[in-house]
This record gives sequence, structure tokens and C-alpha cells, in this order.
Amino acid sequence: MGYVPLAIVFGFLFVQAGGAWWLALAASLVIYAGASQFAMIPMLAAGMPVASLALAALVINMRHAFYGLSLLENRPRHFLVRWYLVFALTDETYSVITSARPRPTPNAMAALAAINQGWWVIGTLIGAGLGAQVPVSLTGLDFALAALFAILVVEQWRASRTLLPLLVALASYALCTWVLPGHALLAAVCLSVIAGLCWPSIRARLA
Amino acid sequence: MIDPTYALIAIVAMGIVTFGLRALPFVMARWIRSSSRVMELGRFLPSAIMVILLIHSIRDLAERPTGGGYVAEIVCLTLVMLLQWLWRKPLLSIVSGTALYMLWLNLG
Repeated sequence: MGYVPLAIVFGFLFVQAGGAWWLALAASLVIYAGASQFAMIPMLAAGMPVASLALAALVINMRHAFYGLSLLENRPRHFLVRWYLVFALTDETYSVITSARPRPTPNAMAALAAINQGWWVIGTLIGAGLGAQVPVSLTGLDFALAALFAILVVEQWRASRTLLPLLVALASYALCTWVLPGHALLAAVCLSVIAGLCWPSIRARLA
Repeated sequence: MIDPTYALIAIVAMGIVTFGLRALPFVMARWIRSSSRVMELGRFLPSAIMVILLIHSIRDLAERPTGGGYVAEIVCLTLVMLLQWLWRKPLLSIVSGTALYMLWLNLG
């Protein structure tokens, strides 16, 4: 559900930039990754080479390469269901799956991913429809995404109450904003991964 | 006007790249599962990533020309988290926070 407002903004901006509504739909069906779909709009409008768009997707979505790590323990059995879940592993789907207690069953995870993508597609269509009509102000509607991450942080905290990942994330992001301002998001995720990998050794030494 | 053929090729290329990234841990599953350290990382990572995504999206909103320069963002964010903590109704939390934020930016 949290996806709808953001998808509306995407469809709206895409059509306003001169794209056909069905191309916005195709992007939400085939790419299904919020941030890179937004980044794609000005790049398409500027007619940039396909290779730079692919590179942008690689850099922006790099963090998704770590998401599967949390799901390896219980993957859906069926071949198609499993690969659909892999395909649809967005920020939101990953967040909701890992916040849910008790952990959803493999098939429930895939169903959740499909529902999320359904909302994403519906939102895209609504936005594309609006974009083709009158000029309306959607300023601030994309706060919904930040709000979604905020409630997931609250739920993660309720479920685990461990301070360490929180502190690591804050420190990583602060450091990366300072050192690599242009790539703070990816750099902070990488730094947290490194910290998470080192933590067992540090804990063992302290104990 | 964006050329449809060009856009479609770009969309497919981006789709393949994104899928490849998401599939990476599953393709290397055999190697990863033999390492307890990586499995432990899978449990540590969700909270950390959520916090990073939250800070990053707030920063994005606050620093753009139409943004609220952190004041509106932090007030609305506090409202969302407070509502969620007290009542656990995601839709209520998201809609209240977003509505307040939109009013703030468009009327303020």
C-alpha cells in the first residue's frame, strides 16, 4: 500500500516528461525498482545512451544484491514462485518480509511481493492518467515512501530491540555523506555489510 | 517526446541489470550457506538498511528546492513514528504524515 503514492508520482512525472503511458507501465512491470525508475525519467528525456541507463540501474540498485541474504533460509520450493520473488525483491518487499513476526512462509512472501507489485502498477497507471490530464500539484506526495520506511523502522525496533544495527547504520550514513556525498546510500549499505561481517569476530574477542 | 523503441530497449536493459543484482545471493547460495558469518549478516542487515533508507529518503525530500528544509520533514516523521508506535495501523500512520506534509508544503 505504501507504494501507491510513490507510483502515482512516477507515472505522473513520466508522462509529463513526454513518455507514453504504456511505457511507464512497461517500466513498472519489467524493472520494478522505484529509485532507478525515477532516475530513468530525465535520462530518457535527454536521450542518453542505453548503456548509461543500464549503468545507472546497476549503481542505484546495487544494494538489492544483499537483500537475498536474509531470505536464503526459507526460499519458495516452486521454480517459478522462487524466481518471481527474486525478481520482485524491492526495498519495500524486503522490509515488510523481514519485519513481519512470525516470519511469513515462502509462498506468503511471494504473494506479498505480487501484491506490492500490483499496487505499484496500479499507482503507475493512476499517475500516468493524471499526468496526461490537468496540471495538479503532487508536491510532497512522495513523503509516503519515507513514512513507510519510518513505520518499518518502528516495527523492526519493536521486534528485535537491538541497538547495534541502528548505530551502525547511522554511523555509516553520516560517514558516507561526508566522504562520498554523491553515493551515500550505496556506500552506507556496503559499510554496514562490512560491519555486519566483522561483528562476530569483535564480539568473540570481547566475550 | 520520448522515442518508444529506445525507451523500451532501455527499460529491458535496466530490468535485466536489476534482476541480476537481486538474483546474485540466490545464485551463490551454495557458497553462502556454508558460511555462518554471511547467514548472520542476513539477520543483522534488515534493521540497518531500513534506517539508512529512512535517513536517505528524508534527506532527499528536505534538500530539494520544494522541500521543507528538515523542519517539516522531521515534524511529519515524528508524527508517523508516534502514531505507528501507539496504534500499529500502517495506513493511518502513512496517510496522516503524508497529508500533513503535503499541506505544509503547498500552503506554508
